[in-house]
Amino acid sequence: MMRLLWLSALACNGNAHALLNYPGFKVWQKEFEWLYHPLLPSEYSFKEVEKGMAEGCDVLLVDGTLEEGYVKYRRPYMELLEHYGKQAHHIVTVGTCATFGGIFAQGGKGRSGLHFRGDERLDIFKNFWQKSISLPGCPVQPEVLAGTLSLLKRKTDIPLDPLRRPKYYYAYTVHDGCIRNEYFEYKIDEHRFGRLEGCMFYDHGCQGTYTHGSCNKILWNGLGSKTRNGQPCMGCTEPDFPKENLWQTPKHMGIPARMPLGVPRRAYLSLAGIAKAFRIERFYTPLMKEE
Amino acid sequence: MATRTRLELIEKIEGEAQVLYEYEGERIGFAQIRFLSSRHIEKILEGRDPMDALSINPRVCGICGHAHLIATVRALEDCYEAIKISDKALKIREMTLSLELLQNHFKWFYLTILPLLDIEAPIERALEPSRLAGEMIALLAGQYPHNSYAIPGGITGEITPVDLLEFRHRLEQLKEIFRRYLIDVDLDYFVRCDRIEEMLGKKGDLPQAMRTILDLGWERMGQSLDRFIVFGESGFFISGKSTATRMRKHLDLRYLKEEKIQKSAARLVAYRGRAYETGPLARAMVMKTPLIKEAHRRYKDSLFSRILARVCEVPRLLRYLDETLQKLDLSQAAWIDPGPMPKEAKGTGVVEAARGSLIHQIEIEEGKIARYRIVTPTQWNLGNGSRDNLYPAQKALIGLHRNDPAELVFKAFDVCSVCTTK
Repeated sequence: MMRLLWLSALACNGNAHALLNYPGFKVWQKEFEWLYHPLLPSEYSFKEVEKGMAEGCDVLLVDGTLEEGYVKYRRPYMELLEHYGKQAHHIVTVGTCATFGGIFAQGGKGRSGLHFRGDERLDIFKNFWQKSISLPGCPVQPEVLAGTLSLLKRKTDIPLDPLRRPKYYYAYTVHDGCIRNEYFEYKIDEHRFGRLEGCMFYDHGCQGTYTHGSCNKILWNGLGSKTRNGQPCMGCTEPDFPKENLWQTPKHMGIPARMPLGVPRRAYLSLAGIAKAFRIERFYTPLMKEE
Repeated sequence: MATRTRLELIEKIEGEAQVLYEYEGERIGFAQIRFLSSRHIEKILEGRDPMDALSINPRVCGICGHAHLIATVRALEDCYEAIKISDKALKIREMTLSLELLQNHFKWFYLTILPLLDIEAPIERALEPSRLAGEMIALLAGQYPHNSYAIPGGITGEITPVDLLEFRHRLEQLKEIFRRYLIDVDLDYFVRCDRIEEMLGKKGDLPQAMRTILDLGWERMGQSLDRFIVFGESGFFISGKSTATRMRKHLDLRYLKEEKIQKSAARLVAYRGRAYETGPLARAMVMKTPLIKEAHRRYKDSLFSRILARVCEVPRLLRYLDETLQKLDLSQAAWIDPGPMPKEAKGTGVVEAARGSLIHQIEIEEGKIARYRIVTPTQWNLGNGSRDNLYPAQKALIGLHRNDPAELVFKAFDVCSVCTTK
């Protein structure tokens, strides 16, 4: 059994509820024990957790935006992190709030994630850096959280990126696996909402090509994703989430200002020019048009 | 008589709340309800593009974020002088909203209420229907929780008959789960049922819970203001307010007032200066749901009526989903371009969320969000009023003996601290 302790700071509970939607939850849960979880039955009450009674925590799960001076009941939250963080073998920041500060960091001073405020490294918990894993996402995909915990249980090596995100889940971009990809590849720069066709990269703010995550590889609720449904990716796994004007693509001289991950602007422009020159009819025809 | 106080942390609600009980002898004389530090989402929205609210606001809450999305899109659409939305898009929004209510009801009943009645039920009875509801929302909206598929003019995705096939399969599974776990009766029959004994005589976790409450002699506990208010309208809910003596259909949001109070991050809300209860019991009283009217006749607005009212929405919502699905005309447009968002405008969006009426108000100036205000159900039900202006949960707690189930009385209102400290 691996013992888990879930501590929420300023949170919406979205990560906790997302985990409950994990299709494999019933089987997965058998290998884990909750010392504390904000919704599920657990061994200790929060009052007992505050008193330091929840001994023997294997993984500390930190959820929500941290705030200086935040007290849930009687003891400062930062003190609790210090106390349980020391005992834990691993610390997992669950979601973007606990990792980078997220949305709620914009609501007040002294708010951040555990090791980051946006992309700025913080020192306060630097002793925990080596045993920390970042699982950003708003919310984090349940497969990513459950899977990472299972990998830790099996003592499997997990390659991490510089933000300590597991590569198994964050080496991909949200663009990978999107069923609208052909419209991107052939630069069909017209998209209308409420349609099966089109790509939101050009006008509607989609950040999928430069956002790390598995949203279109491991589908949400086992079957869907935002971009497949026609909503732009908002870049929720990244340190700068949430940017402004999330439904519009910022542009320079009519070309999207931000390029797909690692693609030089020049390479992009050359490819775009060629792709557009062909004007392939199929991409201008509705998918469901009877032939 | 000496007054003793005790500060209690209420946990495993959505977030946490603190209650400061003041005892007079063995009984609760007064209770102050406090919510802790706020996340300031309303402030975060200021200065942003109005469309950003569609992305930020679902993050108010992990369990009822979809209600916040729908309230947001309604507030944004209200900013347009005229806007066209297809009947199809409206119906699909109603369906995803109903599904969010369903998963709330299942989770609350199994994870919050049953443990307080010492009834052991596998947590899968909450999680299995919640997962199915999540999948059904995802079929129409991409993902759950936290999608932003409802936008001014309709919805982002096009739905095909294949999606609806998958949807229908899961709806049938939800109906089966309702019968297998909650109460073993025919859906249509149960919706018309007005006899408490008949409900109690059936197999299932609902009758067992209600019988337990009767056996323990708790059925009259938690009586409150007996004043109810429902702001949201849909194909399913009707708005209005109901007091012991009369019923009013027309509500005017101009009479809605909020004030800041000390020691709590939640603002106090009132309609024409008075506190009201909102949520499933209020909806049942305004809609005159037969079984709940009967429970109310016997046990007033007690925890018995409150819990029964909540669970009784489950079969009604399932039937509503069925009817809506049948009427869905897929040939209509998913989205009709409403044109650019007005640069100067005000809008209001009202929605019935799981716990009651949710109201969003936006003011746009120079194309940006100038002010955004969110009024949540928990602000009504768990308001922290003064001794001469008690709010529903306070009123329900006062007079309870120290051996009485104060936590159950409190949680029967279903607290969403997360929304309230928005």
